[in-house]
Amino acid sequence: MTKIKTALLAATAVMAAAPAMAEWAPNRPVEFVVASGAGGGSDNFARTIQSALTRNDIVDAPMVVLNKGGGSGAEAFLYARQNAGDPNKLIFATNNVYLLPYVAKLAYTTEDLQPVAALALDEFLVWVKADSPYETITDLIDAAKEAPGTIVFGGSQSKDTDETLVALIEQTTGADFRYVPFNGGGEVGVQLAGGHIAANVNNPNENVGQWQAGAVRPLCVFAPQRMAESEPISGEMGWHDIPTCSEAGLDIESYQMPRTVWLPKDTDPEVVAYYQDAMTKVAETPEWQDYLTKTSQTGAVLVGDELADFIQKNEDSTVKVFQAEGWTAAE
Amino acid sequence: MGNFDLLMHGFGVAITPMHLLLMVGGVLMGLVVGVLPGLGAPNGVSLLIPLTFALDPTSAIILLSSMYWGALFGGSTTSILFNIPGEPSSVATTFDGYPMARKGESTRALTLAFMSAGVGALTGVIVITLLAGWASNFALKFGAPEYFAVYFLAFAAFIGMGSASPAKTLVSLTTGLLLATVGMDTVTGEIRLTFGLDQLLSGISFLVVVIGLFGIGELLSTVQEGLRFRGVSSRIDLRDVFKTIAELPRYWATTIRSGLIGIWMGITPGGPTAASFMSYGIARQASRKGEPFGTGRPEGIVAPETADHSAGSCAMLPMLALGVPSSATAAVMMGGLMIWGLTPGPMLFATKPDFVWGLIASMYVSNLIGVILVLATVPMFAALLRIPFSIIGPMIVVICFVGAYTVSNSSFDLWLVLLFGLVGYLFTKLDYPLAPLVLAMVLGHKAENAFHQSMILSNGSLDIFFSNTLVTSIMVIALALLVLPKTLQLSSRLRRRQPVE
Amino acid sequence: MTVRRFHAEIGTALVTAGVGLAAVIGASELGFGWEESGPQPGYFPFYVGLVLIGASLWNLMRAFVKHRDAMVQERASGEIEEPFLPRENLGRIGTFLAAMTGFVIATLTLGVYVASAGYIAWSAWRQGGYPLWKSLTIGIVFTVVQYVIFETIFKIPLLKGPIEPLLGIY
Repeated sequence: MTKIKTALLAATAVMAAAPAMAEWAPNRPVEFVVASGAGGGSDNFARTIQSALTRNDIVDAPMVVLNKGGGSGAEAFLYARQNAGDPNKLIFATNNVYLLPYVAKLAYTTEDLQPVAALALDEFLVWVKADSPYETITDLIDAAKEAPGTIVFGGSQSKDTDETLVALIEQTTGADFRYVPFNGGGEVGVQLAGGHIAANVNNPNENVGQWQAGAVRPLCVFAPQRMAESEPISGEMGWHDIPTCSEAGLDIESYQMPRTVWLPKDTDPEVVAYYQDAMTKVAETPEWQDYLTKTSQTGAVLVGDELADFIQKNEDSTVKVFQAEGWTAAE
Repeated sequence: MGNFDLLMHGFGVAITPMHLLLMVGGVLMGLVVGVLPGLGAPNGVSLLIPLTFALDPTSAIILLSSMYWGALFGGSTTSILFNIPGEPSSVATTFDGYPMARKGESTRALTLAFMSAGVGALTGVIVITLLAGWASNFALKFGAPEYFAVYFLAFAAFIGMGSASPAKTLVSLTTGLLLATVGMDTVTGEIRLTFGLDQLLSGISFLVVVIGLFGIGELLSTVQEGLRFRGVSSRIDLRDVFKTIAELPRYWATTIRSGLIGIWMGITPGGPTAASFMSYGIARQASRKGEPFGTGRPEGIVAPETADHSAGSCAMLPMLALGVPSSATAAVMMGGLMIWGLTPGPMLFATKPDFVWGLIASMYVSNLIGVILVLATVPMFAALLRIPFSIIGPMIVVICFVGAYTVSNSSFDLWLVLLFGLVGYLFTKLDYPLAPLVLAMVLGHKAENAFHQSMILSNGSLDIFFSNTLVTSIMVIALALLVLPKTLQLSSRLRRRQPVE
Repeated sequence: MTVRRFHAEIGTALVTAGVGLAAVIGASELGFGWEESGPQPGYFPFYVGLVLIGASLWNLMRAFVKHRDAMVQERASGEIEEPFLPRENLGRIGTFLAAMTGFVIATLTLGVYVASAGYIAWSAWRQGGYPLWKSLTIGIVFTVVQYVIFETIFKIPLLKGPIEPLLGIY
């Protein structure tokens, strides 16, 4: 009798445990490896997700953030390579994961990482100083055509998203700018407000403070549609009032930077599924919505095939720019 | 007197029981973080950011900035007691602080450091209060050539004079410059001097080098001379604290000068670390009589500490008003600001007066709290020296290595600490000065970047460094600081020689 | 064996010259010229490396000159050139360095907690002359405090080895 009872109990226990076993969950602290220094864009991204996951009890395991921003983020991706198969490490990055290997000789390839999700798209805008003579993007481009190589575009880092976009503008229009790399978007914003450079291609939240103060103004945004409605930022103008670049006569349909989450390669499919699910839930939390509004990013939850497609397209189009500029690292 | 009314309003915001509690808590946590080398203010502050989501922005920034002040205070403690800078900006404090502690006057050294730090911080906050609008407009005038000029000025002020052999100074300086170039270059995007080692991709961390050079290097010297710390016999007496405070007014000239240097470097992009070096260098040049610097001169503690803290507080201004962080910690706080939905920029002062002036008012209060808390701990820290070396020595070794590891969670850095420990030991024994190496590591790459950016702007013409009044005057001052001391020395030597001949 | 200052000077100068040479070689691979838009990536390290080599050679030369003078004096007065490291000190430094290197290796293989408890206990026991149980207590208490500060309060994971997971600590 007792034997049967124990057996029964054991059986129920196994049955109860069965669904839990199929679904993997982290049983130790999860490392959030951030491909930027503390305070950088990817850092804010990771820390927002960390707080959204904790506050809404989506992931029970504790989470710790590690900044590995060296070499434009390469440090974080090399770390992922060294930890192949580790299900407790998530890597937070942009499109630098798959673009960096093209421009620099590095000891990792994109295949060393497994994409989990993209959660947001950061927009790029062309900004000029408030009292600059250029009223529209075509003014700026025409001026650059008239006096090639004299109009200074500032951007953050070298051969990174900003310089790529400037190169793309040059390749599309035939204009010729002079590009000066600085350390980060904030610094480029101030250089523009101080009049040391003529234009920059900052993300919205890198320049919004100077725009509010009326020191700089946007010319156009590189997105297929205008940005979301918002309160007026500067004078009457809000984000939605900025024309898209193709509307304004610059034939670049879209140029956006995804905020992405990755795992090291060779983890079980359940692990990927678990984090995909967690990230999809994050996108619905108020913390996340708040983050999108405050940083003026566009929400876009991409997982699975959709994500793979996006990466493929983004990679192909950017590499074309790299090749035209001769940036691809010689193998 | 609009700013004054706003400040009073700020005090109303800042002084609530809840905020006072946050300040005390922040300063205490900062002290812990500051005392441990490697685990610096930027780490500490970024770890607190998730906690601040539950607070309103004003309380959050008060917590974070209090932690920053605490870390700045704590950083000097280990500099003085063990020659291990807890924070990068307290490296210059080791030059005279540690020798003074070794003479058995650790209480005096600590008190001098904390008091001048407090004075420096208050000077900085007063400047912020009075000049908020003007200073941020001034900072806007800084483009790449001006940046270069400021870095060059800091170099010139420090290197201009030194007692070590010129060839050895040059070795130390160039080694530092080379170490700073390792890793990815911002301007060209090239990976330099890594010799195929992935671990070097992110560069050689300044903190790791400093922990090795100063911490482990000093331990090796201590071991060589016998297994104990000198200065053990120091009496620990609260009366010493007060005696030292009474002594402070004597250094008024150094204090004012260093405060001004700190303000200048805080508002321009120099930052606190460069400010402390520059201030130390100028204090050394300005002193005419007395025992040489590096042997425990009180001015050698007052100068870097005052400048460090006034720069640290002034650095909040460009961060709030322009969104340019001039220190690593400010960069992290700015990240926090954005998460809380505040946009740093000129409008922040107009749109969020509660936040800005609450923060500024809290800086007065929390620095005061910081000085009191830290003075209260002086006897406790000084007592650390009484622990036998065979116990505290290995503990310091562990703390150094763990500290270096936490900088970027890289086990490769452990070997670097060991290597630079040996370098530090050898260099000190053979009279190679360490300071130029450290300064070169702090400023080298930044200066190179600014130089390169200027060259792109000017199409490779050096005229850009003399293209407007601002940059020209900084360059002229820098060149004068570089050349004048040597010529003065030479001419006075010549004059002295004449009567003999 | 007694290391003379002369030997140390020569060794250091040769090593710094070697660092300079490495920089020059590394930089020349990147290109060290001056382009239209300013210096190439290798420009700065290349020339800094050259200066380093020059300064090192200068130090090398001075060391030889000093040594020659000292030898002359030694023969004349019997006064021996300043010793850099007497044998007794060399032994002490050697032990300390070996223990420290052992700690680093142990950290990399066993994790920092085991390594630091062991290292501190060993030093207190062998060098401080404390009884073994006292030494072990010191080591373990320090390690626990370290664990609480880093992992619990500041949530910074330190290097762990094979032993911590057995205790359920990750």
